[in-house]
Amino acid sequence: MSDKKFNRRNFLKIAGASGVVAGTGVILPKGVLSAKTEPSGKGRAKNEVKPGELDDYYGFWSGGHSGEIRIVGVPSMREIKRIPVFNMDVASGWGVTNESKKLLKGKYFGDTHHVHGSYKDGVYDGKHLFVNDKLNNRVARIRTDYMEVDAILEIPNIQGAHGLFPQRYPKTEWLVLNSEFQTPVPNDTSNKKAFLNPKEYYGMHTIIDAERMSIVCQVMVDENCDLAATDYKGKYSMCTSYNIEKGVTISEMLASDYDYLIVFNWKRLKKALKAGKYKIVNGVKIVDGRKGHSDITLRIPVPKNPHGVNISPDGKYAVCCGKVSPTTTVVELDKLDLAFEGKIKPEECIVAQPYIGLGPLHTTFDGRGNAITSVFIDSTNVKWNIAKAIEAEKQGEQAKKSNPHIIDILDVHYQVGHIMATMAETKEADGKWLISLNKVSKDRFINAGPLKCENDQLIDITGEKLKLVHDSPTYLEPHDCIMVRREIIEPLVKDRYDMFEHPLAVTKNSVERKGKNVTIRMTANAPVFGLQEVRVKKDDKVTLIVTNHDEISDLTNGIAISNYDINFVTAPFQTKSVTFTADKPGVFWVYCTNFCHALHLEMRMRFIVEV
Amino acid sequence: MKKWIVPLLLIFCFCFYFPSTVYSQWNFFEHRYKYRLEDVLEASKFVEKKGYWEGYKNNKLAGYVFLSKNWTKKLVGYSGKHLETLIGMDTSGTITGVKIIFHSEPIVLIGLKEENYQNFIKQYKGKNILKDISVGNEISMDVITGATVTAVVQNAIILRSAKKVASQTGMIKFAKGKNLKISKKFEHIKWKELLNSKAVKNIVVNSRDLGLDKEGAYLDLYFGIATVPSIGRNVLGDKLYKETIDRLKEGESAIFVFSKGEGSFKGSGFARGGLFDRFNIEQEDRVYVFKDKDYRILTEIKAENAPRIREGGLFIIRGKDFNPTNSFKFNIMLSYRVGSKKEFKSFSLDYKIPARFLE
Repeated sequence: MSDKKFNRRNFLKIAGASGVVAGTGVILPKGVLSAKTEPSGKGRAKNEVKPGELDDYYGFWSGGHSGEIRIVGVPSMREIKRIPVFNMDVASGWGVTNESKKLLKGKYFGDTHHVHGSYKDGVYDGKHLFVNDKLNNRVARIRTDYMEVDAILEIPNIQGAHGLFPQRYPKTEWLVLNSEFQTPVPNDTSNKKAFLNPKEYYGMHTIIDAERMSIVCQVMVDENCDLAATDYKGKYSMCTSYNIEKGVTISEMLASDYDYLIVFNWKRLKKALKAGKYKIVNGVKIVDGRKGHSDITLRIPVPKNPHGVNISPDGKYAVCCGKVSPTTTVVELDKLDLAFEGKIKPEECIVAQPYIGLGPLHTTFDGRGNAITSVFIDSTNVKWNIAKAIEAEKQGEQAKKSNPHIIDILDVHYQVGHIMATMAETKEADGKWLISLNKVSKDRFINAGPLKCENDQLIDITGEKLKLVHDSPTYLEPHDCIMVRREIIEPLVKDRYDMFEHPLAVTKNSVERKGKNVTIRMTANAPVFGLQEVRVKKDDKVTLIVTNHDEISDLTNGIAISNYDINFVTAPFQTKSVTFTADKPGVFWVYCTNFCHALHLEMRMRFIVEV
Repeated sequence: MKKWIVPLLLIFCFCFYFPSTVYSQWNFFEHRYKYRLEDVLEASKFVEKKGYWEGYKNNKLAGYVFLSKNWTKKLVGYSGKHLETLIGMDTSGTITGVKIIFHSEPIVLIGLKEENYQNFIKQYKGKNILKDISVGNEISMDVITGATVTAVVQNAIILRSAKKVASQTGMIKFAKGKNLKISKKFEHIKWKELLNSKAVKNIVVNSRDLGLDKEGAYLDLYFGIATVPSIGRNVLGDKLYKETIDRLKEGESAIFVFSKGEGSFKGSGFARGGLFDRFNIEQEDRVYVFKDKDYRILTEIKAENAPRIREGGLFIIRGKDFNPTNSFKFNIMLSYRVGSKKEFKSFSLDYKIPARFLE
């Protein structure tokens, strides 16, 4: 399975890059304290946000297997809101109402890993967020004006929908989504002979039209496609691959001593699509990206089982983390064209492979030429200078030994996964705050039982040293986050819905019967529902449509039907509906669940199911 | 000429309900009263004019009677509905009587009785509208403590309607402003200079002025017009200034308000009622109140060397009849506690855009 002829040492000028971690400690360079690119002194940013003050950044956190997105104010680390996405949220009624069910299509579990924003010219335009569902292989789009999901796209032919990244330039027209688990294509009875033959399992780099939320195509490769990135010129997307072996057990996946950073050439991909070089499987155009079959893909060998790939804010480098290698691999993006044209070897795009620590996973940037890498096994954040790493690589083995690129190493608590700095995935990375998303909190909070929370640590990166300033507990289980400057998002966010955006907005209360179907149209205006009583017959199919008519911002009403297992809320001018069968005869109070008024408790009406 | 006016609608004096109604119960809060013109002005003859009646006593003009809905219908209370008021005023501008004829304010919710509301209204009799009248000063909040939104709106309705009628009948005349324009030129101005040039006005209310046993400023408030480039851009910063201007519709203006000190100009009334009940803008016979829709929070003054603030807000003046180049007033009614007793006091601040920013 692995390419035996490939000799890693020809291009890796590093001794410690093998899969077996070398037992060497980190040698800090002399004079590191006076690194030129750094402002002098210690971190000095203020993280206290006093009552009545607002945070500087909107933080968007993935919720992991809670299936949601969370909005966190940074630097206060106050959780401001949760956006239900692939889950059922009984507080807001997501997964309860007809509107949300239409998007969820009967699936109420999800596993969100990466939230990213839509871009314009390398910076967030603030309009949309996108998030993956690794569990049920979906992508959701969130409109930021209402901070709610407006589209969910199911992706066929893949499993383990993991790395997700939007196009950064000139604007987000495409999204790329990687499938971490290789599967037969198609994965159904028509292809059942492939079920027991892992050689016929494939990974996919799915291209999604972000505006239409439809699939443009899938690039099929032999390798698995893990984390994703796009460049700052609209030319490439990429994925890391840790299973070029097509292994189905851990030992098989670890067999090869190198794996790939796979780069996808968009110009060539568009050309292939135009030329009709694809087959259609489950309605999706599948373009062959396999080694030896395609000029669309470029495979840059990296030390075995890599993890994250992140692009420096100046657009020059892709930094690929080693995971089982204690190094990162720095790829110069300007060299990719030459490699695609065959003028240089793929490995010649690598300009540095600096030592970082044991288990480097993800890298983020401060916009001042420095990278900060999360190191899982060491449980540290390592700050290092990219230019110095490249310079040392040029000078050779001896220069590398003293690790001149390393600026600071901070212990984090504990076992960091993702890492992200403010605005770091944009060309306006501002080097203010860093979040270390630590997977284990252990003893950092009061003991709340064997199942413990995560610990997202806030780190001030304005100075030369990384300065830990706050521990923030999070419930299961954020993976990644982005932090967007407040003024990019804030002007777009609305206080109330545009009432008539919903085709069923209720302006007149009524009860309408057509056979066994009863439609109740009702307004809610604290502290009264527009109807005081509704009578239906047992086994009627009831649709209840509610519009909140309160114009005052933040005046949300809840609508719960006793003993009918139904609850949802409507924000000002919002309309929602539910459909259910009135299968229990009796008197059932419909009441407001979301505190709305001094007479909130009196805000109720009778739903009478007659026999 | 009809002496008796019988409202067309039924009189809802207190609660009633249909046992099986399927309609909204908003009318639970509705109060409608019968009225006669004589209720508010002593006269033997009334002659209907456009929007008001002239009242004659011994064939001599005694004053005017008018319904607020003809003049200030857009001013709405906590209920979102206009507080229909019948007002009488003599020829010198002194209020001869006020009667509330319809409202649906849920004042019962805060433990008040309908009677409290009527007593509040009675205070206007004998007050002259050509002089300053404000809630907390000339008009006591004692009988209606807590219903600040209702009181403030009711006050605006009475005064604004009366001033409009006074203006209509020639009792008061407003100096015509020169046809000036806001200069589009931008000067970079530091905070101190903004204050010195009166582009930003400041009012300090000391705790002692309020009878509080404390030193220092209870409220240190800064206020100015945001839609003048040299003022707004310096105070809000380039980005927010541009956003603000871009969002304004033709003829709208915006103001900024900042404060330090333990007092609050925003209060919390706007949270549930949507209306900022502690301040308004007054120009000639017009009063502009602000709703949460017109508001955006401000947390810092961007101008160079500006102080840290405790509260701030940007407010849009929606009325198209507001003329930013003419002088106007910023009225604020402070609500505070002396011991456990709630007190109210009003202050006023005149504002005029300095000539250097006009052309």
